[in-house]
Amino acid sequence: MNYLYDKSFEGFLTCVWHDYYSERAEGICAADGDYQLDLLRYGQTVETDAEKAARVLEAIERKISVWDAERLYRVQRTNEPEKEMKMLRYIRLGFRIGGRLRLLHGDPVVLAVQKAEQRLGAEAHRFCGILRFSSLGNNLLYASIEPDNDILEFIAPHFADRFRWDPFLIHDLRRGKALFAYNKEWKIAPLPADTKFAFSAEEDSFRTLWKRYFDAMAIKERTNPACQRRFLPARYWKHLPEMQNA
Amino acid sequence: MEEKLLEKLTVLGEGAKYDVSCSSSGAARMNIGRLGNAACAGICHTWTADGRCLSLLKVLLSNDCAYDCKYCVNRRSADGPRRTFEPRELAELTMGFYRRNYIEGLFLSSAVLRSPDNTAERMIECLWLLREAHGFAGYIHAKIIPGVSAELLTQLGLLSDRLSVNVELPSSESLGLLAPQKKPKGIFSPMRQILQAQREQQTLKAAGNRGRLRPAGSSAGVGDGCYDDLRELAGRAGTPEAIDQLMRAGFARGGTSAVQGSAHSGRGLQTAPRGRYRERFAPAGQTTQMIIGASPESDLEIVKLSEALYRRFALKRVYFSAYIPLAAAPELPPLLTPPPLKREHRLYQADFLLRFYGFTADEILTPEQPDLDVDLDPKVCWALRHLELFPIEVNRASEEELLRIPGVGTVSALRILRQRRIASVGYDDLKKMGVVLKRARFFLSCRGKYYGGKEREPVAIREKLLLDERTLRDSLGSGVPPQISLWDTLNGPAVLGTRKEPAVWSAGNELSVRQEL
Repeated sequence: MNYLYDKSFEGFLTCVWHDYYSERAEGICAADGDYQLDLLRYGQTVETDAEKAARVLEAIERKISVWDAERLYRVQRTNEPEKEMKMLRYIRLGFRIGGRLRLLHGDPVVLAVQKAEQRLGAEAHRFCGILRFSSLGNNLLYASIEPDNDILEFIAPHFADRFRWDPFLIHDLRRGKALFAYNKEWKIAPLPADTKFAFSAEEDSFRTLWKRYFDAMAIKERTNPACQRRFLPARYWKHLPEMQNA
Repeated sequence: MEEKLLEKLTVLGEGAKYDVSCSSSGAARMNIGRLGNAACAGICHTWTADGRCLSLLKVLLSNDCAYDCKYCVNRRSADGPRRTFEPRELAELTMGFYRRNYIEGLFLSSAVLRSPDNTAERMIECLWLLREAHGFAGYIHAKIIPGVSAELLTQLGLLSDRLSVNVELPSSESLGLLAPQKKPKGIFSPMRQILQAQREQQTLKAAGNRGRLRPAGSSAGVGDGCYDDLRELAGRAGTPEAIDQLMRAGFARGGTSAVQGSAHSGRGLQTAPRGRYRERFAPAGQTTQMIIGASPESDLEIVKLSEALYRRFALKRVYFSAYIPLAAAPELPPLLTPPPLKREHRLYQADFLLRFYGFTADEILTPEQPDLDVDLDPKVCWALRHLELFPIEVNRASEEELLRIPGVGTVSALRILRQRRIASVGYDDLKKMGVVLKRARFFLSCRGKYYGGKEREPVAIREKLLLDERTLRDSLGSGVPPQISLWDTLNGPAVLGTRKEPAVWSAGNELSVRQEL
């Protein structure tokens, strides 16, 4: 049986409920995106059910651990291929062996989830650095990003604290949503990717200053572009003013 | 105005770029001011074309130096434009960059502007403006110029997260030769003072006394009262109007104004403990750096010096910087000598062994073999000298023993220990835990089985390890890989091609193939 769900964490938990109580899942897929008709198995759309989801979450927290429930939530936000089945296998194993689950670093089931979670964490940390704000005038700061994983809510606390008195919005162009924050409060809301903003007048001069400083800081005797790309992959350059050719 | 600032920033950035330290780690702070916080792990913001990270806005306050250190770009006898930032100008620039998330904070260094004390006063003025007038709560790293007076150092420490005093060269003889105006005493007494200030702070806190530290004595600091209006605004910065007002007021501040006026008016240091930043003296500790390859010291001396610095001054880091010839002088290596990047890399590896792996300098290097092997990392070299301790059984070994296995790091050692609590560790598991098996397999056994092949001679293991290293060489940026020939394996250093490195392989090495033959 293939379960199709609505990409939400609750939806996924409902699939886990069905896997346990109705029919064993052989695949769990987002209903809209990359699902392809399977000749061997039925596909069934799962209605997200808050009550079932809450029961599964409670079971995970009790039988495995709260920490693992949070880990699953984070993995659900990644772009890991077939993440749902990896998470399901993790839960099944966890129900068997309990809270020791996360100590099994060598187990392929645990490893898959651990790796996906690490990638998300690494990208969120990276975006704390490589996100660039532009001033829209009126003290409003704007940044556009295209991360691989859905990291908005994981970088939110960091920026909400740092720019506490500067209202800002971080626009995830790939997912068409944005993080709005001011005075330590933040929320995430849909914002179409083609929304355009006008930058303030001083923005250009700051970018020029930054670009010139950035270029000056490289030591030419030690030039090593391969090393630079290892740390800062080219897919992120699009939104970095210092990597644009002025 | 715009063009002038652009040029200043470029010139003063160029002057600071040879400073290695760029880390923004070690201090964790919530936003207690108007803008900014500090993350304990540090955050890198971008990477320049040489692959080094750019985290802090690393600039000189001035490059107009009174000293004439032979290796330095900013030495008095060098040609080139001389620029100096106005403290206010630099503070505003920092805020502008920080607000756009270009940077994680400010790394403020400077050439010696007339005298160390005069330079420190200007640095304090700039940092004070940032902290108090702009309410900046981000990371600040301040460079201490050797010979600065104790009172000013205290002030700098209370404004900054991290301080650093450069030892510059690995021995006092070299220092006397290449930087005659810098004295060892001038370098080590600030280090000692920083250490003592931190100890004192810890003691005060441990006793349950969280009272503010008042700097001993007074100094020509920033006077009281001159920024009261701004401070008051910063206090009630909650409303957007207040923000606007604050920003306008802050940016509209004119030139040198009251700050400089009062800096020399002889009033005491009453402002010191006003902000909450000032309750802590350099929370991220102190670091230092030295130049590698400009003077004849061996790696053993360098590693021993770093060990002594870690032990005596509780430094957070010792940085090494491969010497890049910028000036011709008879005491220095000739121009066009390529920077010893590989040696720098191996020294950093040795440094990590000191800090995280429980090694001592005497274990890493011996007087008979005073230089690091550029072909293999220091941990492998140590293991090859002590094959009698290996293989280590991963399912029985203590954490200390695990950390001694080449290819096992702090994270993988921890994972091995964790899994061992509930299940034995198999050979296949090791790779998943992050162990580098191409090195580790020669030095460990797993469930009683050894995976390193039949030959357990140091020479044979070395050969196999070198084969792997060769494929790595390109990625370290040494350009075209040298031709591999049969004789390379017998002669060792020839593999390195054009690079002139100390003859690590031949000199007194008991593993020498020639002896075997």
